[in-house]
Amino acid sequence: MMACFERASPALREILLKIHRAERPVEIDYHVHEFGSVHYHVQCSASDPHCAYLSLSTPLLSRGLTFSSHLPEHILETVNGVFPRIIETIEPSQEGYQLTLKLDFSRIPHSKASTKIITEISSVRAVILSSHLKEILTKVDSNGMYKPIKLVYRPSEPFFLIKQQAKITAVFPMRFKENEDVVIATSFFQELADVGNSEKCRKAPRCIWSPIPPPELRGESIEDLCTNCGFVTFDITSRHVEGKNLDKTVWNLLNFYTFVKYYVKSTRGFIQRRMRLRLEKLIRPLHDDVDVDQEDRRPEKKAKGCKRVKKWINASKSKIVRKRRKLMNKIKRIRFRIKIHSFVGRFRRRWLKLPKFSRVTRYIKLE
Amino acid sequence: MCKPKEHIFISFIWLKFAEKIVDPNPLISLLTHLMANSLRLYLTCIRNTLEAALCLQNFPCQEVERHNKPEVELKTSPELLLNPVMICRNEAEKCLIETSINSLRISLKVKQADELENILTKKFLRFLSMRAEAFQVLRRKPVQGYDISFLITNYHCEEMQKQKLIDFIVQFMEDIDKEISELKLSMNTRGRLVATEFLKQFI
Repeated sequence: MMACFERASPALREILLKIHRAERPVEIDYHVHEFGSVHYHVQCSASDPHCAYLSLSTPLLSRGLTFSSHLPEHILETVNGVFPRIIETIEPSQEGYQLTLKLDFSRIPHSKASTKIITEISSVRAVILSSHLKEILTKVDSNGMYKPIKLVYRPSEPFFLIKQQAKITAVFPMRFKENEDVVIATSFFQELADVGNSEKCRKAPRCIWSPIPPPELRGESIEDLCTNCGFVTFDITSRHVEGKNLDKTVWNLLNFYTFVKYYVKSTRGFIQRRMRLRLEKLIRPLHDDVDVDQEDRRPEKKAKGCKRVKKWINASKSKIVRKRRKLMNKIKRIRFRIKIHSFVGRFRRRWLKLPKFSRVTRYIKLE
Repeated sequence: MCKPKEHIFISFIWLKFAEKIVDPNPLISLLTHLMANSLRLYLTCIRNTLEAALCLQNFPCQEVERHNKPEVELKTSPELLLNPVMICRNEAEKCLIETSINSLRISLKVKQADELENILTKKFLRFLSMRAEAFQVLRRKPVQGYDISFLITNYHCEEMQKQKLIDFIVQFMEDIDKEISELKLSMNTRGRLVATEFLKQFI
């Protein structure tokens, strides 16, 4: 799954684990940028190896106004409450950052639990965003009921929360730049609505997709209600905000836009892969036909056969005479070197008599 | 060339009559059977037309010396062109066959039931057109009003067998329909799986 769906930042976790497991004191000064808008700064000096400073800058949820640069008090309290013995908030925070934390690695045990603790610390951004959203929801009083609260996490991606008596409705207006993305996303939302209303996912929030704005958003500005891919609505009930489910629900709602964009992107890749595979199958019949035609025109390959038999079959009379002459010359040369009287004639007659060659094609009838 | 339409019309009338006296479930299977039949008729009609039209011979260009161009593309000499034939299965599916002395152009319009099929068809056929050299007989740009076009010249007929070429084109038409349907189905299945996984995170 994509890194942004994990609560803990993988890069930050890696750096903190490196500091914790280092055998010798290390000097570290890392800047980590994630998703274009999140910035971490990790510092650790060799003179004080057990302490590290973590500064964080992240866009916060705003109510459609300018982004806030200071963290509210309740968020700082929540962050301090994660691991109070290990994490300490430093005020004022480092310049350019919203939050600076001092981490005491001497309090983290060197056991399997250390990875879990460091993973929790790496999810500080998720804690900030979740607590911010929780605070917005809890602060709504009876006057604020049924009024849509516009929240902006990333520019041009606002979503609405409407607090009602028995549930909280989250409405996501969906917009895409390309027409293809609109069609792919629309089919996904229809499937999401089908699955959300099925028996298998009855414990999950009820999900509705509609091409027109829901009645809860009546009165909102036209810019927010102009979309090309409709509106996705989730009904969050008390079951989804109890205990640990609250964090999961909040995190899923915050990452819904990112999730849909990732799905659209991966679906386009999937279509491309399928088309490439199909292309080979479509071409094959044509190339097979061409190969068959070319094979018909090629001359048939003859069997190679035995070389010696070929030589005998192809040997003409003149060739045979030429070969005989060569052999005779060889023998004469040998003869001039060695001279044995009275033996020569008999030897020659017996051993140096050349067989008569005749054509293999002529058959001799056996009697 | 309008025979498939007549067949479909007659079958439709019979269907309407049968609705009143026959159970609906067998009716659906009958409808599917009729649609399959109409596809067969459509493809048979195209095949027969191609068999008649694929009689190409080498013919050098009359206007430019030592040039040999497919006359169906240029359309400068009307005496070298034959009457174009359009075969329609319905309003959404049709085939245009234009013939000349040395070349033949077949343009196809593929059925697109909804927006999703529309974009899948566009993407897939554009993907194939961009790789036209692999197909040899495929045109890089379809004729206006159609989704994909083939251009067969006398040289193709010399290199390849006529029957096999016709079989390839008919098979291509069937495969495209099948592939678009499979792509749509796999996309919907994929969407469903992803949606289930997303909603499971809330539980």
